[in-house]
Amino acid sequence: MQPCSREMQAMNSLLSPTQQIPLQDLQPNGNSGTHQAQIHNPQFDPTSSHDDFLDQMLSTLPSCPWSDLKSPWDPPKSDETPPSNHDNNVGFHYDEILASKLRQHQINGGGGGTTAAMKMMMQQQMMLPGRLIAAAGGGGLTMPLHNDIVDGSSFKSPNQQGGEGSVQALYNGFGAGSLHGTNNQSPNQPQHFHHPQGGNMQTQSFGATAGTVMNQSQASGSTTGGAPAQLKQRVRARRGQATDPHSIAERLRRERIAERMKALQELVPNANKTDKASMLDEIIDYVKFLQLQVLSMSRLGGAAAVAPLVADMPSEGGDCVQTTAGGGGSLQRNSNGNQPSANNDSLTVTEHQVAKLMEEDMGSAMQYLQGKGLCLMPISLATAISTATCHSRNPMINKGSSSNHPLLQSNGDGPSSPSMSVLTVQSATMGNGGLDGSAKDAASVSKP
Amino acid sequence: MNNPHHLNPTSLKSRFTTRFLRALTKIRAQKPISSSSPTEIFRRYRRIKVAADKSMAYSVRSRRIWSRAMLWKLRSRSYRRQDPCSGRRSGKTNQAIMKKSSNENTTTRREDGVGFVEEADELRQLVPGGETMNLCNLLDETAHYIKCLTTQVQLFSPIGKG
Repeated sequence: MQPCSREMQAMNSLLSPTQQIPLQDLQPNGNSGTHQAQIHNPQFDPTSSHDDFLDQMLSTLPSCPWSDLKSPWDPPKSDETPPSNHDNNVGFHYDEILASKLRQHQINGGGGGTTAAMKMMMQQQMMLPGRLIAAAGGGGLTMPLHNDIVDGSSFKSPNQQGGEGSVQALYNGFGAGSLHGTNNQSPNQPQHFHHPQGGNMQTQSFGATAGTVMNQSQASGSTTGGAPAQLKQRVRARRGQATDPHSIAERLRRERIAERMKALQELVPNANKTDKASMLDEIIDYVKFLQLQVLSMSRLGGAAAVAPLVADMPSEGGDCVQTTAGGGGSLQRNSNGNQPSANNDSLTVTEHQVAKLMEEDMGSAMQYLQGKGLCLMPISLATAISTATCHSRNPMINKGSSSNHPLLQSNGDGPSSPSMSVLTVQSATMGNGGLDGSAKDAASVSKP
Repeated sequence: MNNPHHLNPTSLKSRFTTRFLRALTKIRAQKPISSSSPTEIFRRYRRIKVAADKSMAYSVRSRRIWSRAMLWKLRSRSYRRQDPCSGRRSGKTNQAIMKKSSNENTTTRREDGVGFVEEADELRQLVPGGETMNLCNLLDETAHYIKCLTTQVQLFSPIGKG
């Protein structure tokens, strides 16, 4: 019975809490004791495990008024050793067509559902039991069964996870089951069909689905001759409950996507948007923001990794270059994630620009820098300040140059930057002579 | 995240932390900054970023599509650096593989019935390896990717504070 228990568990896990209740009644222990006799049909041997599962399910179903029904299909034969014979027994001639469909869904010898059977079911309004019974009547429905059941039960609320195209197969078996159900007393019947008392909740949904299934099975299985054409009504599929495999798969996909969107909503802050499109935009912005945050912090990490080497720089005679990045500040300032990258680029551009200007005219270079809120300062002072302000929370803007090495420091955002923003880069274009005069420039440090 | 994550030796946080610290110390032990060009600076910075990404991807191993894509990118890049020829080869192979897989999936341009093509494409560019994912998997990968990125940021914040 282990497969059965697994299936049951899977079923229960798939079902919503509200809908688990009736199915929990189907637990092996929940046997209402109404039907034991015909549950175990030796003819189900080939798929005994699943049959047992189904039998257990059905055994818990209370007696249904189907006994009042007169089945137009009296089981013609009693030998049903192979599951496929069930179809023959009930005189379902849809079998070939439907069986092929069922087998596509891994259903062994699925009971042929007939539109007539569906209609009959509809008329009798015995959807739930018929459904379960049909599943059993399908004769050894495999795992997809529980999917089907779940799908059926989930039809009530289309947003729930649904089974796949096997639903139709299930309903095909449904029809078979319904037909079977009319003959409870027949020993040849694989199961008893009884209305579960708790199944009323699903009556409507099943009615709709049955209708839709009937609709489709009519379209697909109309050629079978053996099925009696006693049920003539045609029920239109309810909106959102179509059983077309494509639409089912489509709906399943949509539900999965909705699920994942919900999960993402929890991760992303500011997720109060109800619109999916705006939610996606929010997600995109958040991912960009996070990536830039990691970028800036790694730049900062680069600075931290470099910091131990700062002390060596002055000894190198001004050839040293010091680079630290102002990740935190720029990060805070640019919560949208746009500027940090621009910050990086602008620094590079600024450096080159300043280098160019310095070659021409020191004054213009200084003006350019001041226009950007930067200044020049000797490297030794800059390094001293950088090490000193490593732990400070005030970003400093200072720019200095000493012997050809301009120090460019960009301002990290003031209030929130926990780290210093210092970028010291030696411009490659800087000529040696161009900065001699600047070495005498007084260091001016401006704080934001 | 809660501190218990740090206590758990196998959580994503602890795995990432150990790897990243290892990579950082390795970088620090590398040649000191003797170069003077800005490119060298940024190269070093880039190396650190790569180390961060690599350690993140490695701590996720190959359980996720995006981590596999990222690892692949890193590996191909390193191969390219070592041997330009092999890099070209691997690059071509990779492109071929990616194109082939995307053609097989035929999901990049599909409406997917939900109508989020533009946003989905943008997301695909953001998430590594996202070009070959349909919307469903893409959202899944995005969720995990966001989780990992936030972990990374949280672990980086002590660096920022000095």
